[in-house]
Amino acid sequence: MTPSFLLVLVPLLPLLAALATVIGGRRLGPRAHLPAVVGIAAAAVVALSLLVVTARSRGSAETPRPVDMVTTLWQWATVDDAYAPAHDSHAAVPGTAVGEDAYSARPFSISIAMRLDPLTATMLVIITSVGLLVAIYSIGYMHDDPGYPRFFALVAMFVFSMSMLVAASNFLLVYVFWEAVGACSYLLIGFWFQKPEAAKAAKKAFLVNRIGDFGLAVGVFLLWLTYGTLDFHDTLSPDGTILPGILGQTRLADVSGYVGGIVGTAICLLLLLAACGKSAQLPLHVWLPDAMEGPTPASALIHAATMVTAGVYLVARSAPLFMACPGALVTVSIIGTTTALVAALIGTVQNDLKRVLAYSTISQLGYMFACLGTGTLLGFTAAIFHLLTHAFFKALLFLGAGSVMHSMGGVIDMRRFGGLRKLMPITATTFLIGSLALAGIAPFAGFFSKDEILASLHSKGWPDVHHSAENGHHAMIPELPSALSHSGTMHDVGYRGVSNYDNHSSSHQTSDVVGLDALNQPAVWKALFWMALVTAGLTAFYTFRAVFMTFTGPLRIPDEAGDHAHESPSVMTTPLLILAIPATFIGFILFTTDGLAHFLAATPSFTTPSIVKTATASVFHWDLAIQGTLAAALGIVIAAVGHLGRRSDGPQLERWLGPVRPFLEHRMFIDQLYAAVIVKPIEAIAFLAAIFDRSFIDRSVRFVAHLPLALGSVVRQLQSGLLQRYALAGVIGVLAIIVFLAWRL
Amino acid sequence: MNLLSPSTHLLLVILMPLVGAGIVWLVSSRGLQAVRQSAATTAVLTLVAAGWLILRYLMSTEAASNQVFAMVSVPWLTGGMFDIRLSVGLDGLSLWLFGLSALLSVTAIFVSWEAVTERAVGFYMLLLLLETAMLGVFVARDIILFYVFFEFTLVPLFFLIGIWGHDERRKAAITFFIYTLAGSVLAFLGLMTIVLWNASHTGSVTFDIEALTAGLSLHPLPMDADGGYLQWVVFLALLIGFAVKVPIFPFHTWLPLAHVEAPTGASVDLAGVLLKIGIYGFLRFSMPMLPEATAVAAPWLFALGAFGIVYGALVALVQQDLKRLIAYSSVSHMGYVVMGLFALEPVAIEGANLQLINHGLSSAGLFALVGMLYERFHTRSIQSLGGVAKKAPWLTALFMVFTFSSIGLPGLNGFVGEFMILAGSFQRAWTGVSPELQQSYLILSLMGVVGVVLGAWYMLWAVERVFFGNSRLPPSHLDNESQESLDLRWHEIVALAPLTVFVLWIGITPATFLAPSSQSVRTMTLASSNAFNRQMQPAQGHAGTEMITHNNESSDQQDRPKTNPTFQKPISVKQ
Repeated sequence: MTPSFLLVLVPLLPLLAALATVIGGRRLGPRAHLPAVVGIAAAAVVALSLLVVTARSRGSAETPRPVDMVTTLWQWATVDDAYAPAHDSHAAVPGTAVGEDAYSARPFSISIAMRLDPLTATMLVIITSVGLLVAIYSIGYMHDDPGYPRFFALVAMFVFSMSMLVAASNFLLVYVFWEAVGACSYLLIGFWFQKPEAAKAAKKAFLVNRIGDFGLAVGVFLLWLTYGTLDFHDTLSPDGTILPGILGQTRLADVSGYVGGIVGTAICLLLLLAACGKSAQLPLHVWLPDAMEGPTPASALIHAATMVTAGVYLVARSAPLFMACPGALVTVSIIGTTTALVAALIGTVQNDLKRVLAYSTISQLGYMFACLGTGTLLGFTAAIFHLLTHAFFKALLFLGAGSVMHSMGGVIDMRRFGGLRKLMPITATTFLIGSLALAGIAPFAGFFSKDEILASLHSKGWPDVHHSAENGHHAMIPELPSALSHSGTMHDVGYRGVSNYDNHSSSHQTSDVVGLDALNQPAVWKALFWMALVTAGLTAFYTFRAVFMTFTGPLRIPDEAGDHAHESPSVMTTPLLILAIPATFIGFILFTTDGLAHFLAATPSFTTPSIVKTATASVFHWDLAIQGTLAAALGIVIAAVGHLGRRSDGPQLERWLGPVRPFLEHRMFIDQLYAAVIVKPIEAIAFLAAIFDRSFIDRSVRFVAHLPLALGSVVRQLQSGLLQRYALAGVIGVLAIIVFLAWRL
Repeated sequence: MNLLSPSTHLLLVILMPLVGAGIVWLVSSRGLQAVRQSAATTAVLTLVAAGWLILRYLMSTEAASNQVFAMVSVPWLTGGMFDIRLSVGLDGLSLWLFGLSALLSVTAIFVSWEAVTERAVGFYMLLLLLETAMLGVFVARDIILFYVFFEFTLVPLFFLIGIWGHDERRKAAITFFIYTLAGSVLAFLGLMTIVLWNASHTGSVTFDIEALTAGLSLHPLPMDADGGYLQWVVFLALLIGFAVKVPIFPFHTWLPLAHVEAPTGASVDLAGVLLKIGIYGFLRFSMPMLPEATAVAAPWLFALGAFGIVYGALVALVQQDLKRLIAYSSVSHMGYVVMGLFALEPVAIEGANLQLINHGLSSAGLFALVGMLYERFHTRSIQSLGGVAKKAPWLTALFMVFTFSSIGLPGLNGFVGEFMILAGSFQRAWTGVSPELQQSYLILSLMGVVGVVLGAWYMLWAVERVFFGNSRLPPSHLDNESQESLDLRWHEIVALAPLTVFVLWIGITPATFLAPSSQSVRTMTLASSNAFNRQMQPAQGHAGTEMITHNNESSDQQDRPKTNPTFQKPISVKQ
């Protein structure tokens, strides 16, 4: 079992499960979950083994080296001699092909290729393990639903698409599965399609995501035009030259391998637009709260733990591209932090438990973007660290909310129930654990990842306080990739003597400063840090407001629940208990061993010199930890003052908010703004276009078409309205013209 | 294998539907069942034979060396100078369109299974005649033969719309006929000019397409005032003829009308195959034979394509009739093809060529499904339908598949073509045009991507209204005994299943479909690409753009005195 075979297995097993469910779902009846659960479980085991394989092949702790194992399955499309980049000096590797050949046309060649590296391995484990627990939970939750097989087919299909998305070694494949997960999301949000709101929410999610996809598509086109390939990995052309992939060892090792300036910034901003769509960041966040119309397990898996993190993955994966564009990087942080703050503010006044969690997801994803934008190794690894902890504790919270909804007869408005801790002890306890993790209370998982995020922002705002690697802290810097250390790659060719093509690039690698670059200064970063800290407090507040409203105080149950309000069956509570374990411990374990950061540092994308030199010795930041904890504690205290033990409809804090409250309750009127500024005008234009089409284009073409016939009305008898006559006239005319032409020539 | 030579095989495929039409007529006395069974058998056998021929082509040496396969050339109207031949042959450019024609004919017959029960004999005979014409038009290697098939597609379709159509069928049929006839007459004039020009330089009057292409590359039609801008005149004549077929904005208004009124079977063939003849004409005639004019016109056609994408999508957005909406989506999707073709970049051209097939599959599927909805509820109004998914889950599932294909969801076929077209367009905009055109090209390419967003908007809006939400369905008109099952019936599954297979197949391994036509399409467009590249070189770039306006104005002025007598003379003589 070679690693490449295992890598193919991870997506393949869920795919087979999905197909099996589609084909045999009806026959399996109440056991229609079997293929999906078994398939995803097997995929999870394989993903874990891949994690081990990856960890082993990255070398020892002292001499880590990048892991980069490429598997090519088949050629998707090829167009020979398609494009000769006129300007890119990195078109071909020097030494082997300089001069004419270096600029010869390259094929538009797209292969179905997958790459295993630490980032991929980490993501695969998250996707399959959360996917498995959600699938098991759904056995109970979706019980008796008429669409039972359809649900499991879609979940398996989603796990397949998402695994492919993070394993793809090609920007086109990323785009393919970017949209594929979007389609799964569309079908799952609209799972109960009879509900008009669900159908609307599904359409909205797809369309808002399409705007993001617009960015990804154009970004991919620009990447193709700039780099002459879409592959991540280096490829070997038949004549022996190496075509450096966008994120391949050759280009990564080159200090000027990436295009900056206006083109580079445009590419990065377009990728960021895509990430904003999928990860529900401002200004494209509007679809995620509505997406809660879907079944809760789907929300947990797709709209909390995995799919929405695809944007974070994309930016992290494209880190070297962003490193060449400081303006784009700081934009990532600004969007992330702003989103975190705005979503947290809106989250404080929501009364729908799932919507509180949805805004919390948007806010936490904003956190991840905030630290991605710092452009430091710490920032990138912290984002993935938070992605990981968040996946577990947010899935736990969503499944907990689902458990509440399940026993409340489908009611999810927190004002209509309360005091459920006695009724549902397991749900209440695990929900509390998830909340502590989300609020960032030590020693739960979220505390450690949030601390790293704050640290990465802090290091940009107060650079003199932190020591960069240039000052000698090389403790965890992986060895620079060189030809001899490429043990993991497929193309171990000793082609890199001297990087002698750097001089070519100096003209292209201009330092022309884009306007955005001016934002990259400590004052901005300081502001972002404080915004992040405030968000931490707000997060703790809305989380515990939800906890107190739902689980404390006197027991209240809505009528819809009937008399069978009870703790959920064990098939649902077991996944909760399992998820509570990583939500509690995984942050502490990964932080103290520093395992994840070390592991991720061997990701090819993070081994480019511009990132390696930002590596710092890992230190626990006591000052930041105290600030973060104080903010969280303050939030919890305010929540307790407002809601602990009281009837949940005594909204103390909301009253304090005064006029701000309706503003927040209406989600800052962003939906209405889009409707007025974008949707309505386009509909108006479309309406006018349709009128124009009917009354102008059609008439004028008709007029022109009838002109010859009108001329022919001189000869009255011909205009009999019989089609044969017209046809005959046409043929005679043609013959006459031919005779004339023959005579003239 | 030698029992059936490729040439015989090809002739057999073309003639089978014709024979089938005869059989349908013979069995007409035995009732509806016999009629439609014999029609269906014919179509299926033709499809099998065509598929087998395609396989033989793929394995042949001709395919590898980009030559014409299964060439047949029989003298037809030969005498004196004239040498009009019945010559047919298959090459990379014809290959998939040929297969698509055979495939969609099967679909057309099976979707009409229950829908057409009155005067069924005539209906199925016309469908089969149409199939022969469609197959013939893509394999004809002689201009006259091409034109005969080209015109011959109109007649069956005219009657199919005019007799079996809906309320306004007569108006639709006549509009359709006049539009396309006017266009094709102009195209014929252009083609004849080509023949005569070639004859005047080589001394022999040949109608053979390959010989003409070779001849015109040696003696190109003149582009300057001395030559009467002849290349321009011919190009415009062909342009109007083919643009009406495609249809390119603003020649598209016949299409929604024709589709809305046409019976489902005719819509399937019309959207799936007949629209492609226009693009095929550009690829087969305009681009190899008139490269200089194509190069000068390319920016304008690229712009019309991009504009058509957004325009078609916007108009589709406010349609209330589901079939009309899909007709306008066709306008939008064919805009992609036009854009890709006239980007004159290899990636875009190959994408456009594939997109022809993709659009054929997805629009045929969607029209077929709308027809099925109409059969059930006797309405196509989006407002009066709702919640179909509950009653007809498999119908809904297939509609989703074709919707996703149409809006370019990756993994399905539509994405491949769209992506390649847009990638090529951006490539052209990035490095391939003169600086003063670059901005326009970038904006036009972005309009193409905007079309992808709008496409999802109108299609998903329609899906949401028609299939999801509360059930508010009019009573079913299916005359089966149980009114409960509104889902797909067996003949509907037979009609759609093959399309679904290809939608997935092309999406997953497009290389299988790109490779066989790659060389052929590249050869056809090489001259135009080169001419355009020359024109766009920085040194001459300015001159090139000047030429566009210059030529447009003066060709109009110059033409008048020459052509007016042509039209007036015969009339005055008669009077």
